[in-house]
Amino acid sequence: MTNLPLLMKSLVDKDLRVRYKRSVLGFLWFLLKPLFSMVVYTVVFTRIIRFGGAIEHFSLFLLTGLLPWNFFSASLSASTRTLLDNHRLIRSVYFPRAALPIAAVLANAVHMLLAMLVLVLLLWAWGHAPSPALLSVLPALLFLCCMTSGLSLALSIWNVYYRDVAQFLEVLLLAWFYASPVIYPLGSDVLPTKVEAVIRMNPLSGVFEMLHSSMYYGNWPPLWCWISGAAWAAGLLLLGLAVFRRYEPSVVKEL
Amino acid sequence: MAATPGSVSFDGVGLDYRLYRDRNVTLMHTVMNLFGRGTSRSWFTALQDVSFRFEPGEAVALIGANGAGKSTCLKLLAGIYRPTLGTVSTAGRIASLLDLGVGFHPELTGSENVMLNGALLGLSQGEMKALMPGIASFAMLERFMDTPVKYYSAGMFMRLGFSLATSVDPDILLIDEVLAVGDASFQKRCHERIGGFRERGKTIVFVSHDPTAVKSLCERAVWLDSGRVRMDGPTGTVLEEYLASSGGRVQKHGAGITPREWGTREVFFERVSITDTGGTPASEFRPGEPVRVDTVISKVPGPPVDDVILGYSLHRPDGETVLSGNNLECGAPLLTVAGGMKASMLLKLAALEPGNYLLGISLTGNGTDYHWQDYMYTLSLLGERKPVPVKLESVEFRSDGT
Repeated sequence: MTNLPLLMKSLVDKDLRVRYKRSVLGFLWFLLKPLFSMVVYTVVFTRIIRFGGAIEHFSLFLLTGLLPWNFFSASLSASTRTLLDNHRLIRSVYFPRAALPIAAVLANAVHMLLAMLVLVLLLWAWGHAPSPALLSVLPALLFLCCMTSGLSLALSIWNVYYRDVAQFLEVLLLAWFYASPVIYPLGSDVLPTKVEAVIRMNPLSGVFEMLHSSMYYGNWPPLWCWISGAAWAAGLLLLGLAVFRRYEPSVVKEL
Repeated sequence: MAATPGSVSFDGVGLDYRLYRDRNVTLMHTVMNLFGRGTSRSWFTALQDVSFRFEPGEAVALIGANGAGKSTCLKLLAGIYRPTLGTVSTAGRIASLLDLGVGFHPELTGSENVMLNGALLGLSQGEMKALMPGIASFAMLERFMDTPVKYYSAGMFMRLGFSLATSVDPDILLIDEVLAVGDASFQKRCHERIGGFRERGKTIVFVSHDPTAVKSLCERAVWLDSGRVRMDGPTGTVLEEYLASSGGRVQKHGAGITPREWGTREVFFERVSITDTGGTPASEFRPGEPVRVDTVISKVPGPPVDDVILGYSLHRPDGETVLSGNNLECGAPLLTVAGGMKASMLLKLAALEPGNYLLGISLTGNGTDYHWQDYMYTLSLLGERKPVPVKLESVEFRSDGT
């Protein structure tokens, strides 16, 4: 009965329309937030802690990681609340419930893609001209979207049963940010070898390495990134779907 | 499986709710339960072994006391709940008038909301665009379709909701209680439209407390009692039995409406007061001003009584039920009465037709009518000032000259 593509499109459309009502800068905020954090991190890591000095155009390097990270954390925070926020709708109409968290992820993905386009232009302007390796950005973002969707599905439905999930997520995201190669590179002497081995197990490491190497360095990403990214993407998406399917029939009675 | 569009079948349907006596659902709770400390989780059987089959074109009423499972049946039909046991099958498109306009987003305009709701109901954008003029004109909102719905009055909101729900050419129409949509003339058109569905052979499932409305719309009635089908047959016969068994408490239309109290009184209202939010006794309420019903509930000596349902119903002065509900339907915890306890309800009413209404409250549960206070309290709901569809953001006067 349900026309899923149309439903998704309508929900994403609604999200985008509603988000920037009464906002002067509108969509620009998705670009401005990472730009502000870029300025902060640049000052902290080149003037105060001084480790970013080794990387030329450190601010652009930061932006390559911060834009997708912002997508990841904003999507998870938004989708975790989405079933609770729409409880009246869920209690009165039937439609596939998974459409709600996925729509929250897709709306953020639209923003990220636009922001990434701007970033490619910025990199170009500072001498990081697009190379053929830039093509690997697309699979990297696909992996990231799959991981985000999988986690969103599980978190959104767990949050209905345990409201602690939303609180826990905030803390988790803070730790996860520093445990992922978002604002620092792997494979340099920034990290002790043992720490780096642990960080490589992080689901996000492969994806962020892919993005740094293809966008900033203009190199094809190493093989381990592809394997790790694809495996975590498939794994987390399947896990999320399984969790959602398990709880979906009874969730309406818990809202 | 039901194949002809418009057919409905329930086959041995059972539905359990998980109840929380205390809604603090946190991890701590679960951890406590793991150690066998918590006893807060229990199950409530809302429906048990319910079977019936409606053919396309039948208009069927579901009747029964508060908490008998009528609304639960509608939610199962709408696909919102899934049965714990048995199967529910329906064929064809379903329109539900359960909660009008609930999917509307305040920031979106009337037509944007119509498109979004169409997608939720599974209609293509082309189909919705074709339906749009009809939806706007039935709701009498042609000039306001590009206005965000947050500027709509409650009446406009409901009119759009009703118009949308009934414009999608459903095979099955679900109606909960009397439709209190808009003013008298709009209500008349709503009833005409529903009558039109009957004539065109659509299936109608109608939940109501009001015998007159049931008789005028439905030829068949299913009487639900404590989650089971007590009787299923022609409306006249079923209603007669139902009215006889409930001690005539469901008033015939137009009969003198007098406050009355009845029930087993194993659990009873010891004290009831109707107040405003501040706790001052009141009987007049402005639009949007919550009506607070404070009760002290007590019981006869003996073991505590679990799973007590606290209900309310609001009637016109002639006894017609306008709306009703209870803590079970709202997903609020059921009461456990061990000794004297306080319980309160906060009703936020938007009166589309200002005037006097009668409020009744009830304590039921476990298949027993503990204490009913029918038509006991008079509420005077004052009218709302119709909001203007255009809001003044600012105004500036300027003048030049010396």
